[in-house]
Amino acid sequence: MSSVRTGLPVPLRPTAKRWTRHPALARALGWGVFVVVAITILFPTFDVSLQDCLIRATPFVFCGLAVAVPARAGLVNIGGEGQFAFAMVVVTAAVLLVGDTLGAAVLIPLLVVAGLFGGMLWSGIAALLRVTVKLNEALCTLLLNFVAPLVLAYFVFGPWRDRSSFNLPVSKVFPDAARLPTYGVTQLHLGIVFAIAAAIAVWVVLDLTRWGFRARVVGGNPEAARRAGLPVNRIAFAALVAGGALAGLGGMVEVTGVEGVLRPNIGVGFGYIGFLASWLVGHRPLDLLGSSFLLGSISVAGDSLQINAGLPSTSVYVLMAVVLLLVLSIRGVATRGTS
Amino acid sequence: MLVEDVLAGTVRSGTSVLFAAEGELISERAGVINLGTEGCMLTGALAAFAVTNATHSALLGVVAAVGAGALLASVHAFVVITCRANQLASGLAVSFLGLGLTSWLGAHYVSRSIHPLNRADIPALSDIPFVGPVLFQHDVLTYVGLALGPLIWLFLYRTRTGLILRATGENGAVAFAYGHSPTLVRYLAVMVGGALAAVGGAQLVLAYTLNWVENVTVGRGFVAVALVIFAGWEPLKATLGAFVFGGALALQLQLQARGVSISPFLLNMAPYVLTLAILVVASRGRAQRPPEEIRAVFGTTGA
Amino acid sequence: MEDQRQADPGPVQGMPEPGPDRAMSHPLALETRGLSKRFGEIQANDGIDLELRAREIHAILGENGAGKSVLAKTLYGVSVPDEGTILRDGREVVIDSPAKGRALGIGLVFQDFRLIPALSVLENVLLSLPTHGMRLRRRAVTAQIGDAAERYGLKIRPRARIRDLSMGERQQVEILKLLLSGARVMILDEPTSLLAPQEVDALGRVLRELRNEGLALALITHKLVDVRTMCDRVTVLRGGVVQVRGLDPAGLDDAKLVEAVVGRHLPQLRTRPRQPPPDDTPALEAVAIDVEAERGRLALTGVGLTVARGEIVGVAGVSGSGQRELADVALGLRRIRAGRLSILGRDVSDGRPAKVLAAGAAGVSEDPLATDVVRGLTVTEHMALSRLELRKRALGYDWHALERQVDELPEASILKIADGARQVSTLSGGNVQRVMLCRAFARDPGFLVAAYPTRGLDLANVMAAQELLIRHARAGAGVLLMSEDLDELFLLSDRIVVLHAGRVVASVDPDLTERHDVGSLMLGLAA
Repeated sequence: MSSVRTGLPVPLRPTAKRWTRHPALARALGWGVFVVVAITILFPTFDVSLQDCLIRATPFVFCGLAVAVPARAGLVNIGGEGQFAFAMVVVTAAVLLVGDTLGAAVLIPLLVVAGLFGGMLWSGIAALLRVTVKLNEALCTLLLNFVAPLVLAYFVFGPWRDRSSFNLPVSKVFPDAARLPTYGVTQLHLGIVFAIAAAIAVWVVLDLTRWGFRARVVGGNPEAARRAGLPVNRIAFAALVAGGALAGLGGMVEVTGVEGVLRPNIGVGFGYIGFLASWLVGHRPLDLLGSSFLLGSISVAGDSLQINAGLPSTSVYVLMAVVLLLVLSIRGVATRGTS
Repeated sequence: MLVEDVLAGTVRSGTSVLFAAEGELISERAGVINLGTEGCMLTGALAAFAVTNATHSALLGVVAAVGAGALLASVHAFVVITCRANQLASGLAVSFLGLGLTSWLGAHYVSRSIHPLNRADIPALSDIPFVGPVLFQHDVLTYVGLALGPLIWLFLYRTRTGLILRATGENGAVAFAYGHSPTLVRYLAVMVGGALAAVGGAQLVLAYTLNWVENVTVGRGFVAVALVIFAGWEPLKATLGAFVFGGALALQLQLQARGVSISPFLLNMAPYVLTLAILVVASRGRAQRPPEEIRAVFGTTGA
Repeated sequence: MEDQRQADPGPVQGMPEPGPDRAMSHPLALETRGLSKRFGEIQANDGIDLELRAREIHAILGENGAGKSVLAKTLYGVSVPDEGTILRDGREVVIDSPAKGRALGIGLVFQDFRLIPALSVLENVLLSLPTHGMRLRRRAVTAQIGDAAERYGLKIRPRARIRDLSMGERQQVEILKLLLSGARVMILDEPTSLLAPQEVDALGRVLRELRNEGLALALITHKLVDVRTMCDRVTVLRGGVVQVRGLDPAGLDDAKLVEAVVGRHLPQLRTRPRQPPPDDTPALEAVAIDVEAERGRLALTGVGLTVARGEIVGVAGVSGSGQRELADVALGLRRIRAGRLSILGRDVSDGRPAKVLAAGAAGVSEDPLATDVVRGLTVTEHMALSRLELRKRALGYDWHALERQVDELPEASILKIADGARQVSTLSGGNVQRVMLCRAFARDPGFLVAAYPTRGLDLANVMAAQELLIRHARAGAGVLLMSEDLDELFLLSDRIVVLHAGRVVASVDPDLTERHDVGSLMLGLAA
């Protein structure tokens, strides 16, 4: 059985006893096994490394969490794409403004805040319209996805274009202090740790806290929440804005951890892949780590496909879409009899 | 003359969205939201382009688009009607499927050219000053598009099938109790909707862009879904909505062509921002009643 | 149900033999032999033999869960029997779909009406007619509706939207629909449950007209009064088994019928004398309030109403007279446009549910499945959304402490609510209602809004719920009671206010007032 609006799976066991057993951990373990199998199948065929997969999976985790948090309150956030992009603009603005004057110890936390803030701002538009004029948030966030990349393009083609870069549409290269530290000689950056920490934090908030319970009531039946005296609009607003903040953190991690420069087309499609990743696991934050890794591996494999076979990188969407459609169909059929 | 050019451009560039919006409207009136409209448009666009490229017949291209759009929409229909999965998630996945498939299969067509859908001026009418260029100097599909809103209105309100469709969207159980199959009605509605969206995609490449690029629709299908809400599920208002979007697109292009010193990126935002703006205006007005069967999915009520 | 309780137990006699009967002379229109249907654990119908003749109104009497509705749906083809045969005009038939049922001239008026509110009367009728090509025969069918309406005394405007019609009018549309599609056997599922007394009278007239036209009518009901006033023969079901088979009700006394329906004698409801209120602050005080409905229309106009502590005030009115809005306003779920509203001494004119709940109010909603049941939440978690104390523990709540509190509630054991770990959305309607009642009664609210509190309950639980309501009132709660069952209002209320078209038209003492007078007031006629 799943919620009509979000497909949020309804826990099968009594929640009152859920605090002692942690099925989420068991499920995460199961996903781990699945991912290991997936790796062994994928890796011999394609020239990809574990490092690339981890790095690619990181933004998917953030964009997935951006879907999972609002989903708990019954909202559908398709806007990870735009929130991700807009946050990168805000982060870059911060780097260009103060990047040369501050040390990493101050700058990185500042940029984290900038990323969170950027994502919040972009999802805040949809959240505000949702609670004031009841505009459907799925459509609103979706349409805003077509606006945010244009904001980004405006800056990198215009005021921020670096004259020394042969007139390519890129910003100035970020100073080292604005780059996330990496582990040893690898390219594995601190953002990966952020992603895992964020997933755990979201799990704690959604499954263990009072706010998580209230969000679940709002998501399960907003009218019931209203009748119980809960501040429905405030909870919905907070959930959507928090989702945007998580996507924004993903944008910050990508632009400071991987790219080190703002250019168009960073992270194109990541928001949508995060959406798929979250739906694959029924919006469970810990499981999302597994599904993101899986989709990250497919995505990296797709890149090598592009290089080797000359296919556009968007071709991997076919595989991802088919996987999601299959999962949705099977889950739909499986829960059909119960409702 | 700016006004005349913009209005003529409005009709031409609004037509693709118009087809998609009317298609989505049929689907939603039967109780299924199809975010896959974007994918259906893309699929239709590529099918039309490829077939026209091969056969030099735009008509065959449009026929191919109809088939391709209906086929992709049937995937959505299967997942949400037969398997009862979430409509928004399935629709988005179908759009992705369309995007991925057309990027992959369309890679060879990127630099090819086609014999476009010819302008067919309507005799006499096209000579009327102002009105002629705006309404009667277009391709065939645009004329069909102009008639589409009223035709669908007639279908919904004056035919038995239309009545059954509306009943299915309001309450499938009641339609079933009257001996009509909601499953069949919804499958057909979703597929017809997908086919119409695909015709919109065909018009886009055959009469507007005249070439194929990856993701040529850039969100027009999603805009179409928004316009259906703006239109309050009424076909005539959906036509209006499509032309508002087309108007923003045309104005923005005319301004760029006339060298107005505003960044093209900011101008490109205009159609999407305008779509959002009219949605906000529409939802502030008198409460629109969506078909009962999609209220739960869309959640335009409640928080 | 009320009639069953108040029935005079009288001397017990043997069942009279089915003598030569007026109706028995007419041909059999529909007959079932050994019809059985099982749903999971429940044997809903067990070997049912039923004879339905032309030119008769045949009551199928039984309490909730006796299998009446399942039988009706089987006859119409909505559900397929596991065993048994159905004969139509003496020929054995298989009715495996509603379309088949209709083709055989069988029509069913559902309790909750199979009408689409967004469409007009004409469109709903057109939808139900057998196919005649693509074209809608709007003009022809409009004329047909006019003819039929005149012939059977129905008041129907073809262009009206169903949404704007009263329950009585909707029912007439249902009947009309069946007539135009050629039904000769008409089954009506609880047709009187949503009607005011005068509307019931009108229904009776229409049914008699239909009977005289030669139709076979089956009237499914749980009310003895329906049998007495409208029906020629009666079949009683209990637990899916036929108890009384097609007898003339004139030959059976009330006690006999009640025993057939419930299988045992029920205790009388213990009413208790009113106590003086614990304090003078009224539970609810509304002064000239206006409340808006959806499209700016006023749902309530200048309503003044006071509910004292310790008092049960019943609200009577035909469906859609403003009861829903009144219940909502009393729980702070709607803002008032004009006037003044206070609950338990606090001004709550601005309509904030949290404030009303904090003042000590609680409510049972009209449609808990839509407005109260949260998907995925357990019984215990639903109980958290009440006046019970929810203690914090670490980042979350102390669920064990809450479970203990629930276990200690007297209402929990009286109503036998489901296990705390069960998900409410998987419970049956009656079980959900019991959870909702228990939640509303928890920690003795000072003001209780009870909208249709006994809906969906079986007879024993109806009694339990009614007793709890009275007990809480006598302990000092002010109760605002809505019910579609006028008998229930008369039984429980200390005072009945009548709503008509959003205005309070009367406030009467149930002990000194006739039901028919209240009915007249409900319909806007002078009493």
